[in-house]
Amino acid sequence: MQLQHKNTADVLIVRPLEKRIDASAATEFKLKLGEWIDSGNRRIVLNLSEVDFIDSSGLGAIISGFKRIGGDGRLVICAVKESVMSLFRLTRMNRVFDIFPSEDEALRALSGKA
Amino acid sequence: MKTAGMIRLIIESKLENVALIGGSVRGIAETLPIDKVIRYHLELCVVEAVNNVIKHAYHAKAGRSVEVDFLLHPDRLTFKIHDNGDSLNLSTVAPFCFDPLKVETLPERGMGIFILKSLMDEVRYETANGKNILTLIKYLKNRSAPPPEHGD
Repeated sequence: MQLQHKNTADVLIVRPLEKRIDASAATEFKLKLGEWIDSGNRRIVLNLSEVDFIDSSGLGAIISGFKRIGGDGRLVICAVKESVMSLFRLTRMNRVFDIFPSEDEALRALSGKA
Repeated sequence: MKTAGMIRLIIESKLENVALIGGSVRGIAETLPIDKVIRYHLELCVVEAVNNVIKHAYHAKAGRSVEVDFLLHPDRLTFKIHDNGDSLNLSTVAPFCFDPLKVETLPERGMGIFILKSLMDEVRYETANGKNILTLIKYLKNRSAPPPEHGD
């Protein structure tokens, strides 16, 4: 699975370059997110701008990262396409995650300037 | 009512093959007058169903087959997912529930059946002669209805 990542200040921005985060990719994605969190990244923006399709396994991998980062960290999501957003709404994950329209807005929120 | 058309796809029971089925559902759905969110829902449901077969009926073992029939009727789209693995008991599937404010209750799995039942108009499961058939039906007449939000 291709994942672009970069650090801006102390925020890690993760941008999957795949169209799909499905059951065949979810295990690798979950492991990679876990590695970044375990290596000390406490504020993460997940940019889903390239992602057209997420299934429940892909969503489970994102939830796993959210749980792993814990109460002293933040994992927020941005640039979610409308179809994928419908899965967050259906599963009520839109009430769990902070979801921002753009990467800039997510970064501002994490830096306390929103 | 007559079936306007039927397509049958068969894949080997590997998760990396499921995207082939998903892409086919999306391709068929793109020929229908339905919006892109509903197209995504159709693809999502069939993908979830096939994932379930591979993970639970076949216990993630390759070398088995999963058949998916697409039946297009004038008023509905029907998907039939066939396998000959372990049967599923829908009544014993744990309900999908959690407290959004309690991180420890957030589910990382077990959403598939909830998604199917929420997004499809009919979900039926039957086992006969060692073969399991999951039938998913989506009526096209309600295609403009907004996607549901659980709990609202």
